[in-house]
Amino acid sequence: MVTKTMSKTKFMGSIGRIFIASFLLCLAVVVIYPLLWMVMNGFKSNGDMLSSPFSWPRELNWQNYVKAWNRGVSSYLTISILVTVTSTLTTILISAWAAYGLTRVAIPFNRLMTTLVLGGLMLAPAVALVPLVKLFQALGLYNTYWALLILYTAFRIPFCTFLIRSYMLDLPREVDEAAEMDGASPAATFWRVILPMCRPIIVSAVVLNVLFTWNEYLFAMVFTSGGDFQTLPVGLTSLMSKNGTDYPVVFAGMVIAAIPVVVLFFASQRYFIRGLADGMGK
Amino acid sequence: MMADPVFWTALINNVFYAVVSVIVQVSGALALAAVIEGLRSERLRGILRATYFIPSAISLTVAGLLFYFIYEPELGLLNGLLDSLGLNQLTQAWLGQENTAIWGIIAMSQWQGFGYSTLLFAVAIQRIPSELYDAAAIDGVGGLKKFWTITMPLTREMTGLMMIVTVAGSFQVFNEVMVMTSGGPNNSSQVLGTWLYRSGFVRNDFGYAAAIATVIFVVTIVLALIQLWYGRRRRVEW
Amino acid sequence: MKRRTFLTTAAAAAVVTMISGCGSTAAAPSAADPQATVDYSGTLSVLTKFGGDPLQPYFEKIAKSYQKMHPEVKIQLIQETDQSIKDKTKTLTASGALPDVYFSWTGNWAENFVSGGLAADLSAVIGPDSAWGKTFGAASVDAFKFDGKYYGVPLYNDAKFMGYNKAIFSKLGISVPSTFDELLGVCAKIKSAGYEPIAFGNKDGWPALHFVQQLLAYNVPAAILAADYIPSTAKFDDPGYVKALGQFKELADQCTGSGAQSNGVLYSTAQQALASGQAAMYYQEILEFDNVDAPANQISKDGFGFFQLPAPSGASGDSKALEGAPEGYLINAKSKNVALAVDFMKFVTEKENASLLSSAPYGQPSTVLGAVDSSNSSASVAAGVEQINKADVLVPWLDTANVPDVADTWLSATEGLITGNLTPSQVMDQVRKASAGAK
Repeated sequence: MVTKTMSKTKFMGSIGRIFIASFLLCLAVVVIYPLLWMVMNGFKSNGDMLSSPFSWPRELNWQNYVKAWNRGVSSYLTISILVTVTSTLTTILISAWAAYGLTRVAIPFNRLMTTLVLGGLMLAPAVALVPLVKLFQALGLYNTYWALLILYTAFRIPFCTFLIRSYMLDLPREVDEAAEMDGASPAATFWRVILPMCRPIIVSAVVLNVLFTWNEYLFAMVFTSGGDFQTLPVGLTSLMSKNGTDYPVVFAGMVIAAIPVVVLFFASQRYFIRGLADGMGK
Repeated sequence: MMADPVFWTALINNVFYAVVSVIVQVSGALALAAVIEGLRSERLRGILRATYFIPSAISLTVAGLLFYFIYEPELGLLNGLLDSLGLNQLTQAWLGQENTAIWGIIAMSQWQGFGYSTLLFAVAIQRIPSELYDAAAIDGVGGLKKFWTITMPLTREMTGLMMIVTVAGSFQVFNEVMVMTSGGPNNSSQVLGTWLYRSGFVRNDFGYAAAIATVIFVVTIVLALIQLWYGRRRRVEW
Repeated sequence: MKRRTFLTTAAAAAVVTMISGCGSTAAAPSAADPQATVDYSGTLSVLTKFGGDPLQPYFEKIAKSYQKMHPEVKIQLIQETDQSIKDKTKTLTASGALPDVYFSWTGNWAENFVSGGLAADLSAVIGPDSAWGKTFGAASVDAFKFDGKYYGVPLYNDAKFMGYNKAIFSKLGISVPSTFDELLGVCAKIKSAGYEPIAFGNKDGWPALHFVQQLLAYNVPAAILAADYIPSTAKFDDPGYVKALGQFKELADQCTGSGAQSNGVLYSTAQQALASGQAAMYYQEILEFDNVDAPANQISKDGFGFFQLPAPSGASGDSKALEGAPEGYLINAKSKNVALAVDFMKFVTEKENASLLSSAPYGQPSTVLGAVDSSNSSASVAAGVEQINKADVLVPWLDTANVPDVADTWLSATEGLITGNLTPSQVMDQVRKASAGAK
């Protein structure tokens, strides 16, 4: 194989190729090794970790995971899953519906509406923090599940609409016309024709949205008040401060927090990349 | 606000963040994506893209906590590595000193984010018609030249988009700083977002927090307008 | 930009502004009567500082037995840690979601809630002449007295001591130092024997403040300290300030293993270093004693001792002052059921529950008279309480004694002192500036 590639890419001296190969390999090590270290430390006993932080674990201490689970990670995980699933669902549905309206239905002030929706992309969450705290307190929504659901949905709609809109702009007009000739209402066209055609970009939007919600920290920290109602990112920091020197338990909690999204990414990788390829280059 | 040295530290830290992120997550990621997409084995390409992406899938909080421990002076991986290389004079409390703390955080952020932008650039490169590369190969054009004459111009849109997204993101940094240093020591790693939070919720000065929020707002609006203008111009050209 | 755009005077106002800014939330006096007949129903939310091991189960247990006695009552616990309680309380206050019963330090911290109308006046039930008030040590009830009224339920006493490893001390032939200079000498000796003299981790900022405040009490006359806590009378120009900071810097450089790097180390790592026998000393709260001296740790085999941070000879402050304060709970004046909250706190401070709090594994010396003795508490905790009672004056924590932005400036500036980026007089410049800005 080496000789074959060599003849094909004769311009690139083999030194250059070795350099590139070793660079890519080093980069992979830089990426993987800290993660491996995290997983390893999650299995160590406390004394083991403090005395020899770089060695392999002497034995697999599964009880670190059990401890982390019992010290709050189970409830953080539940809350995170609940908030992520529901807010992703609402965000994607509203965004897809909005994108459909903005691209394929003749509505008045279309340009203005598009600018308004996409204008939301400009608003940094921190900017709105203080007024939002006041607003949610006045509405009695502070420290509720609804606060996070509303905030995450509201702040993600512009981005998701932007993604899906780009994709929909590229779908041929004839699709709608054919559906219309078959007597389908705009709603029916959306549900039965357009939405299924948008599957790749929807998958990408879902993955990006899950990544965002799962990892969001600022709102989760300010709008929840501890106790049992905390999402994973905030819960992990309190696990850290509540555990004193029992660091392996913190590592175990980190691993538990990391796994779901990594798994989701690998499961959806093919669609995810295709969706991005079709939707992002706009 | 102009007389508050911490405000300036924070603003400058955001600028550092933006500069490094543009270098690594835009230029670096584009080059890396070009190298990966130039590999012959589809399988290897997939594995590399996915591997580099993993840090982006774990949350910034997890990455921040992980790097807190990596930088920890006694237990940390980094000092351990330097020790084993015989570079013990370089070992230090990376997050515990004014001159290294923000750089430690920025480095973590690059580790966490470069795979994501590499993936996006890889996707953009895949959209370039392969005939262009094939034709160039027949003409005997070298790899670097292909990068300059084909890859760069044809991924310009994505590069522009990524540039703005990255810079805007750099001015909204909060999570990793909060987790790793809370802006310390001596406010040296403060960024606008954390200084806003600390001014309001710790120092009880919500008026000042609102003033900082205005600065962040102005910066992000200006960037968004540039993006809009950039998008317009592109459409005219095409 | 002019600071404090929508604030008026004290920093406390900020917290209150956030609430009153949104509609009329003036306290309804009828609901806030602590002596009203107790209605044993509804939910009572309690914000504690007992999150995490080993303290977390304490309130869980108490709440369980209280709910057993009063099945209609639901106790909702929000348990935070020493580290997270400050931010959490502020966020809850700012958003008008402050629980019915909430943890408080003494000093400016508690005063903010009192002046903001968020602490119920408990004088009638816990004043020194009341039946409940008489069950406490008088000084601890007094610590929550503002303008002649009593607001807090003190739960336990806390103070800062230098814990040390007896085996290391005796092996090196060292006796407990009696002056600050002796301590520095002891450090040199321990260091040359290969141990870390004083384990120190200042990632969170407050561990340094604990050293500093004790040294301030030694170096600055008490009356000046007290005046400087209040921005309108603060001068921060006593030479003792710079002196104390200089002493702290010496200690950080000569006694700690991490020195200028200490800002990168967690306090818990430092605690562990003493517990595992790697370090000879660690400056700690009495609340940490039982955690350090736990049976599984090396130090419990080596022997755990403690002493008050020795005063520099000839310092112009109070050499007998001890840094420490009771910690307790306030009752939200806006709570719908103040009387129930009072009843719950009475239950928490019943002798039996107070003794439980004082004994292992909790080891929090209760403020209730007769609750701490060698029969229920560890020897160290009981001895620590004795020292607290002997102390001339208890000096409150630096970060709770000062108004929030001055406290926060102390915190970040001492971090700069440790790394050597700021000199003691530069630290004081920053503190003075913050204090002037807080007027």
